Amino acid sequence: MTTRGLSNLDFGVTAGFTGEQAVLAVRGEVDTLGAPVLGAFIDAAIASGYPSVVVDLADVAAMDGPAMAVVARAGSRLAASNGQLTIRVSSEMTGRLSAIAHPANGLRFEPVDGSQKRSGVEHTIAAPVAPATPVARPGASGAAVVEGLVRLHALQAATDVVDGALRLVVALARATVGGADGASVSLRRDGRLATVAASDQTVMDMDTDQYTVGEGPCVDASVEGRWFVTESLEEEVRWPAFVPKAKELGINAILSTPLLSADEPVGALNLYSRNVGAFTPRDQELASVLATEASTILTGAASGMSAETLAIRLGTALHTREAIAQAQGVIMEQERISPEAAYRRLRIFSRTSNRPLLERAQDVVASTRLFPMDMATTVVPSGMVDRRATGRSPLDDAMVGDFQAGDRRPEREPTTAEGPRAESGHRAAGWRRAWLTR
Amino acid sequence: MADQVTDVLELYRREAGLSLSELWLRYFELGGMSTALELEAYLYSALIPTAHDHDLVAHALNERFVELGGNHPVPYQYGESDA
Repeated sequence: MTTRGLSNLDFGVTAGFTGEQAVLAVRGEVDTLGAPVLGAFIDAAIASGYPSVVVDLADVAAMDGPAMAVVARAGSRLAASNGQLTIRVSSEMTGRLSAIAHPANGLRFEPVDGSQKRSGVEHTIAAPVAPATPVARPGASGAAVVEGLVRLHALQAATDVVDGALRLVVALARATVGGADGASVSLRRDGRLATVAASDQTVMDMDTDQYTVGEGPCVDASVEGRWFVTESLEEEVRWPAFVPKAKELGINAILSTPLLSADEPVGALNLYSRNVGAFTPRDQELASVLATEASTILTGAASGMSAETLAIRLGTALHTREAIAQAQGVIMEQERISPEAAYRRLRIFSRTSNRPLLERAQDVVASTRLFPMDMATTVVPSGMVDRRATGRSPLDDAMVGDFQAGDRRPEREPTTAEGPRAESGHRAAGWRRAWLTR
Repeated sequence: MADQVTDVLELYRREAGLSLSELWLRYFELGGMSTALELEAYLYSALIPTAHDHDLVAHALNERFVELGGNHPVPYQYGESDA
């Protein structure tokens, strides 16, 4: 599967898995915004248990300091667990990158010439760039969602599609609910509660402790079919046998939302946090929405959509939401208007240009990439592309006059459940100009 | 007539050929926070959505109509002059 790109530049990561090796082919420019995405991909590959990770930088035009740091840190982590990070790199980049090689990170360089064919890539996931706009919602970074999508890849082979879909829901909950440090899904099977998906071992232990003592928010939500939240375990009196165990593991807040199958409670989506009062009302809403979808998957009554299709669509939908929320934030910031007013602007612009709202949102977000706030503090090694020098991107010139009110795209690709929509073109600057002169 | 529907959004949904869950996914994609059940309630006027939620549903339907070659037939509650 591929996801829609959010980037106006050509940065992207394609993940391939062969035997014990994960190959991450990177293309374009790995800048301050691309580095965390690359980092998330490497992390996901390591977390999935691949001892050998290859980062293929043969098609990379430029990398800045943060990206090199991401690669070096990943090398150290892999080396610590007897793994190996191999960097495939063009001969002209080898010199620059060898600066980060160190015995502790065990980086191995494999020179390639640009035309060399790569083999053995079975599946691909194109990484969208999620620009870190100053007003982006915390805790819902695109990179984290990418991680969720990488996990989805890993479970495409799973025989139990429902469990696979629920694992995706857990990954998405973990990635999108700002207050959550961990997430899990509990399900009643053969009369007993069991955890079918958990983001980490602490969460798994938390769930198991509740099943063992027969009490806790997860057990109550699964039995009573309503949600249970505890904002601070210090003050919690409801589950005397369970609470001390949770505190031992450093947990301070829990939110359990019931899962229903044919209106009967069958389990819960559990979110855990180390911080008191971590879950905002928005987190609770998002948990409820994700739990509803998990319930739909369980009920299997999703109007002909298979659990797998639904899970993939949900992943795409979350991604789109993120892009739109970011654009909304940018407009709020620039125009000093309310979220609803910002959304209306976006919607009206989508209508007048007769292009989907997502594409317009991507344009808005992309327009901020020309002047990212944190670029001022990053070091760009000599010889690399530095857009700060002129404050202009080559795209700027390419985009002049692109937008005309009411313009129509002659050919629009249809949206389907299987495929991405057409990626937006390089229209950011033209868009911004049109916006400011409205 | 049992099947007679007078609720505007539901009529548009049928005309757009979208199942309830597909419409919900599109609405959710655009930033909607209501569950599929609540959306169904909006369609049948069993619940009154906020103007913002109504417009999200309207826009989800309109994007579908644009895909089908139409041009934003579903009216919004917030007009362009409110923006």
